[in-house]
Formats: sequence, structure tokens, C-alpha cells
Amino acid sequence: MTAPLLAVRNLKTHFRAGRSWPFGPRAATLKAVDGVSFEIQAGEVLGLVGESGCGKSTVGRTLTRLEPSTSGEALLEGQDILQLSQAAFRPLRGQIQMIFQDPFASLNPRLTIEQTLAEPLRIHRLATTAKEARARIAEILTLVGLDPKVMTRHPHQFSGGQRQRIAIARVMILSPRLVIADEPVSALDVSIQAQVLNLIKEIQRKSSVAMLFISHDLGVVRHISDRVAVMYLGRIVETGPKAEVFARPSHPYTRLLLESTPRPDPARAGRRAKALGEPASAAAPPPGCSFHPRCPFATERCRIEAPAYAALSDNHGSACHNIAALPGKQANE
Amino acid sequence: MALLEVRNLCIAVGSGGALLPVVEDVSFTVEAGRTLGIVGESGCGKSLTSLAIMGLLEGSQVRITGGEIRFAGRELTKLPAAERRAIMGDQMAMIFQEPMTSLNPVYRIGDQIVEVLRQHRSMSRRDALVRAAELLALVRIPGPAERLKSYPHQLSGGMRQRVMIAMAIACDPSLLIADEPTTALDVTVQAQILDLLADLQARTGMAVVLISHDLGVIAETCQTIAVMYRGRIVESASAAGLFAAPRHPYTSGLMASIPDADADCETLPAIAGRVPRIDERIGGCAFHPRCPRAASRCAIEPPATATYPEDHVVLCHFPEEAAP
Amino acid sequence: MNTLALFNPFSGRRLAFLGLVWLGFILICALAAPLLAPFDPLAIAPVDRLSEPGGSYWFGTDNFGRDTLSRCIYGARMALIIGLGTVAVSLTAGSLIGMLSAYFTRLGHVLMRVIDVLMAFPALLLALVLMTLLERSVANTIIVIGIVYTTTTARILFGMTLKLKNEVFVEAAVCSGAGHCSVLFRHILPNLISPLLVQASFIFAFAQLQAAALDFLGLGLPPEIPSWGNMLSESRIYVTRAPWLLIFPGILIIFSVFSMNLVGDALRDSIDPRFKDDIAGV
Repeated sequence: MTAPLLAVRNLKTHFRAGRSWPFGPRAATLKAVDGVSFEIQAGEVLGLVGESGCGKSTVGRTLTRLEPSTSGEALLEGQDILQLSQAAFRPLRGQIQMIFQDPFASLNPRLTIEQTLAEPLRIHRLATTAKEARARIAEILTLVGLDPKVMTRHPHQFSGGQRQRIAIARVMILSPRLVIADEPVSALDVSIQAQVLNLIKEIQRKSSVAMLFISHDLGVVRHISDRVAVMYLGRIVETGPKAEVFARPSHPYTRLLLESTPRPDPARAGRRAKALGEPASAAAPPPGCSFHPRCPFATERCRIEAPAYAALSDNHGSACHNIAALPGKQANE
Repeated sequence: MALLEVRNLCIAVGSGGALLPVVEDVSFTVEAGRTLGIVGESGCGKSLTSLAIMGLLEGSQVRITGGEIRFAGRELTKLPAAERRAIMGDQMAMIFQEPMTSLNPVYRIGDQIVEVLRQHRSMSRRDALVRAAELLALVRIPGPAERLKSYPHQLSGGMRQRVMIAMAIACDPSLLIADEPTTALDVTVQAQILDLLADLQARTGMAVVLISHDLGVIAETCQTIAVMYRGRIVESASAAGLFAAPRHPYTSGLMASIPDADADCETLPAIAGRVPRIDERIGGCAFHPRCPRAASRCAIEPPATATYPEDHVVLCHFPEEAAP
Repeated sequence: MNTLALFNPFSGRRLAFLGLVWLGFILICALAAPLLAPFDPLAIAPVDRLSEPGGSYWFGTDNFGRDTLSRCIYGARMALIIGLGTVAVSLTAGSLIGMLSAYFTRLGHVLMRVIDVLMAFPALLLALVLMTLLERSVANTIIVIGIVYTTTTARILFGMTLKLKNEVFVEAAVCSGAGHCSVLFRHILPNLISPLLVQASFIFAFAQLQAAALDFLGLGLPPEIPSWGNMLSESRIYVTRAPWLLIFPGILIIFSVFSMNLVGDALRDSIDPRFKDDIAGV
């Protein structure tokens, strides 16, 4: 195997929690990301899936240096991007780009589309003349399925789906090596979501840019990803090729997620999985395996000892004490 | 007789002196003990329809411009405000998407449930508190007696939605309207809440109107389904009938655009175009600019309803025929 | 944006519109003072001292026989200069301090503590202390009142910049590789323009009161300059014999400040709801 484009090792991002009283002590640190490791090969899409508060967005924000990391490393082609100063990282930003969730918030309302798209070109000196920049902007707008004539307009004149296309254009105009897409379609209507997903997939295939695709929606992740990583309370509990993880989920949490996802199939009514209890908060994770209070297979060992990540096959693995004891097949197959 | 009967409901929004129709000619019925799902994308009018049934449109820019809403034999749109308020929260109740904002942050949840109870039932505070604890137990909140003393911010999103459900069912309503009740929640919690709703329904025999954008949630919860697009019900049928053989191109397009968690495909068959804004006027069938089956007729002439066996109703010039 | 959009905040708000009309009137007085004033505001006419309103002196005269109406008209000029000057000083300094403090957290810890200390003084007391250190002049009055309102402006801008700094489009700009200057002045500042405009209208109003108070205490503008505050100050010993000396400039100050507040409120209600809470008052 060739060296990965991005190798993340034991990444931790902890937040200092606020005080509960004006002069009270600070609450314990919030371990949003607590020892996450994964690799992304060039041209590969890794889907990072999990529920709200599991830290999946924080992983993306740490890799783009929007949040400071606490420890760990992230090697982009061998260079640790977490160790660089913000100023030294700035030229590299052209290679790691981010698509945000809310298309209504991610475009500066005061700038025209042309101004928004010209900015990255100017910063990274990818266009020397205004004419050249405009040609490149027209080209990228066509690529994302918009008429180049719209570049003189302001964001409020576009629908959510169109804005997300513009956000994708802003990212792709730099020809990045890695795109971090943080729930890029979850704010969109179902019919628009499909269009934007298709667009992202098509652009990814054409440009073979590597992608970290963060989402809570298993269907979306399955559609777009080559490999999948499942996160729970700051840690990755299972990773593997998409086909493997969906066909043979090897962590109880992955199974719970799969079974809880509603399907457009009335015959499934009443056959929903029974999740135990409430999701724990990252501010006070349970001891041992953090999933044990909700796990139907939990044993005494799970309450005390955090499971290590264990490989099942070449690139499929999970962090569970009881992999061997899990029932072989999942319910909905 | 159906518990809730909506006939030709029309709702319009006032905008710069003009009235924009946002819900047009919507009709459906809900029987006691049954669940109707209303599904559609943003701006299709599904939430406004539910607010109209609850009588929550009063005093806003939005008003009912036609049609009737009959609940247990009474015509609601003509009822005086005081009588409507007596029905609201008592015989019909509603839960919303945001359990965070629907609870008042400065009151204990026990006090908020007690307030609902005492508004509609002559109860002492002590009795109401006992009943509130029962209700929390009913919605499966652990340690209900202690939880009464909690403030909303001390609860998780799922727990807050359970409290909202407890408040909604406090007076044993015969109709519960749930507007995107699980959209803000994680899938595992969503599954729990939907199960809870189904359980409560089986126990009390109340009718439920579930409003959602998520076809999966609708499919697994409802017996009958109405699909709304741009203010109109474009297709309604039993859940089994709709998912087995969708006849409106919008319905089938919507079903096809959901990424499947159980199978792979290269490209999603997306619906072209964009969701229309409410101030756009579209002649003929509102879906025709996005419709793969549209013909010239669709741009001119509004379609009439076609009825198929088993109450399968479609609003389309060229409905899809059921597979043999 | 067409010019009519500027008047949108005033449609359906009759009182605010009247305020706007009054301010327009004051503006005309200020600009065309030499044409409108019937007399030289400084010309002394001992024969006519303390004349009652009427005849050729519509607003009466003061103890030197100077025409009150002419002095009121020239006073509008001073009001305009003081208002604009204060707005310029406090908005420039206040927005720089506020924005930089919110953007660079460490710098903010230092700068905002300085602002906090200055804000611990009552506004008038701060102005008095500063004014006693300086000579009485138009420029110094503007600087002193400007400093007073720099503190509140900095506080408000600090809060608004903190909010904008966490907006997704600002993060998106950072991800594009935009540097500090670009983020601050290209992405954050343009989104602050409309709240700044509202803030300006309130500062304009409060500067009038502050200037009048300083004039009245004999610490503001040099006494020979016809300003409404100076007129009040000079008239106080004649208040029983010549009440018009107090009434006319008094009414002008009250009406003008009231109008500016109405206009400010109308502007505030029309801006981005995110910032409404920040501009609660100066």
C-alpha cells in the first residue's frame, strides 16, 4: 500500500468547559475527540458517521485548524499539519478545504458570488489577472451546474441547494488534495439533497480528490463513501470498507445505528431496534467502554476496561470486547 | 364518522398587500386510533396545515381563506376563540420539532405539566403533581418523581421531547398532532420516541397526525399517507399502497432520491430543479417544471384528482400505472 | 439598493418620520445659517439688551442685545459639528478597539480591561476630568466627548465581532486561507456597517446632551461661540427676567435629541436581528 494522503494518529481535541457558577470551579474538560486514528488514501472518500455530540465535526474542524488540537498528529503527506503555526499553515489551506453544513450561513451576505470565489484565487495566487480569475470562476460555476452569469449576484438571491453548489465551487476552485465535508447535505430538502450528493460524487470521481465526509445519515454515507468510520463519544468504534461495515457491522453501536435508521418501507413498522437508554454526554463519558450502558451485549469487563481497537481483517476493525460473541447477522437482512 | 375531517382547506399568507396561497384545497380524514402521515419538503404547507387544525394561525400574517375543519363533529373554523382554546390542549394536542424552545426554561418541568393539567381539569396542585409523575412514567422517563423538579436545560433533547409528549397527552387528547417530532433528535433516540408514540397510541386509542419530511419515519409509523407539494396534496394512499406503487411522479421521485442504507447505487435519481418559493406563481400543475413526465398540458391546466382502488388518490394528468 | 430603501425604516412610523423632518430642518439651518440668520450672532446692541420676543427680534435678545434667533441658527451649526466630530472619533476608535479586541483574544484581555476602567467613571465625570486637563476649544470638546463614547462603542463592537467571528462564512474565509486583515476588514467589517449606522445616530444624539452639559458647566466650547449649551449657560442668571433665553435653545436641544433617538430606534428596528440586543442604548 502506498503512503496515505492523510494519516491521523491518536488525535485528541479537548475543550475547557465553562463554569456552572460565575465564580465556581470549571467543570471537567469536554473530551470531544479522544484518541482518534485513521488514514485517508489519495482519491478516497472516508465517511465519518455518528450521532450529534460524538465529535465527528470536531475532527473535521481540528484538521482544518478551526479548533486547536490537544495532542496527536495529522500527517498530510508526511507533514504534521497540527504542529505548524497558523501562518505557516495558511499556504497549505489550499490543499485542505472544507464544505460546511449550513449553506445559508457559509457565504458572506455582503459579497457577490464572483467576489467570494475570487478570494481564494487571489490568496493562493492562482490567477494573475482579473480576466483570468473570471474565466476560472465561470469554469468552476459550470462545473457545479450553475450558469456563470449568476456570478454578479449576492447569496440571498439563491436557494439552499444553489448556495451549497457555490460553496462547493469555492472549495474546488483551489483544486485541493483533501476536502472535509461536514454534513454538506443535511440542511437541504430531500430532492435537493440527492442533486447535491450526486454533484459531490461526480466531482470527487472526476478530480479524484480525497474526502472526509462527515454525516449522521447512514444512507448518505453509504452512497458517497469508499470506507466508513463510526464514531461514538469521541472515539472511532469501527472502521472498514463500506461494503464490509454495512454487510457485517462488527460493533454493537454500528448495528444499533443501522437498525434505528428508518427505511421507506411500511413492512418494517414495529420492527424497530430497541435502543437502551440515553446517549451519554462527552462531558461525562461512562467508564470502561463508553457504549456499555446502551449495549445489549455488555459484560462486567465492558464496565471497567475500555476495549482496544482490534483488526478483524486487513482493513476492517472495531473496538469491542465481545466481537466474537456478537450474533452473526443483523436484523434487517 | 371520522374524528378529524379537513375539507378543501385553503390558507394564504399576506405579503405586501397581496394574499399568496400557501395551502390549497387540502382534504383528508383521520379516524380514531389511526395515524396519518403528511410528508413533503420545506414550504409545501404541511406545518401550516397542522397549525390551522390547532387554531394557531390566529393573529399572524397567515389566515384560513376557505374550507372547513371538522373535529368530533364540530366545525372548528367557526368556533369562538374561547371554545377553541378549551379544545386545544385538551381534546387535541400538539408536539413540535424543537423540544428546546417549546419548554419555558425558567420553570421546573413539573410546574409546566401541572399548569397544563389545571388549565383543563379542576384539580388540586397536589393531585396534579401526582398525575404529572404518572405521565412522566408513562413516557418512560426514569425517576419521574425526581424529574418533576428538573429544569428543561438539565434534560437531554430526547428527554425534553418526552416531557413535551407527556404534556401533550396530559388530558388524554383524542387527537395528537406531531410536527417533525424527531427531526432534531439522533436516530437512536428517534427510534425510541417513535416507539413511545406508537405505544401510547395503542394504549389510548388517540388519532395521530404525523408531519415529517422523512419518508422513512412516515413509512414506519403511519397507516395512511398524504404527500404534499407546493400547498396541495398530490397523492394520498395507504402506507402499503403508496410505497408499493407510487403514482405521482413527485412521490416516486422523492422515494428514489433517498440514499439507501441497504444498497449501493452509482447515481441517485434526483428530482431536477429546485423547491419553489411560496411567492412563485406556477401555472397548471405546480410540479410540472420539475416533472419528468410533464407534457404541454401540465403547464396550462391544473390536474384533477384520479381515484384508484383502496382510496389511492392522485393529483396528476399522467399518473403512473401500477406495476402488473 | 435604490435610494427609497433608505426610507424603508420610516414607512409606517409617523413619529420617526417627523423626527427625520425635524433633523432635516436643523441641517438646513446649520448649512444656510448666514442666509437665514437675520442678524450677526455676535453683534452686540446694548440698546436692545434683554428685549422680549417680538418686533425685529423674533426670539428676543440676550443681555448684550445679541439676537437669540440668529444665535439659535448658528447653534445648529455647532450642534452638527460636535455631533459629526464625536461620531467620527468614537466610531473610528471604538470599532478598531472593539474589533481588534474580539479578534485577537490576548490583546482583547488588555484593551477591554482599559475600556472597563474608563466605563467605571460616570460619562459626565470622565468628560469633566478630561476637559479640565485641556483648553476649551471645539476640537478638544469633540475629542473628549468622543473618548467617552469610544468606550461604549468598543464594548458593543466587541460583542458583535465576537458573534461574527464565529459565523460560518468567516470560518469559511479562514479555511480559504484569508489573512487577519482580509477577515477583519473584508468579511467582518462590512457586516457591521448597518449596526454602526444605528450606533452613530445614538452617539450623535447623546453628544448633544454631553456638549450642552459641558457648556453649561463652563467647560465646553469657548464662551464666545454661539452654541445651544453656551446659550443656556449664559441665560441662567436672567431666567426670571428673560425666560426666552432659556426656552428657545432648550426646546431646540430637546427636540433634536428626541428626533435623533426616534430616528435611531427606527434604524435599529430595521437592521439585522442578530445585533438588536447589542445596541440597547449608549
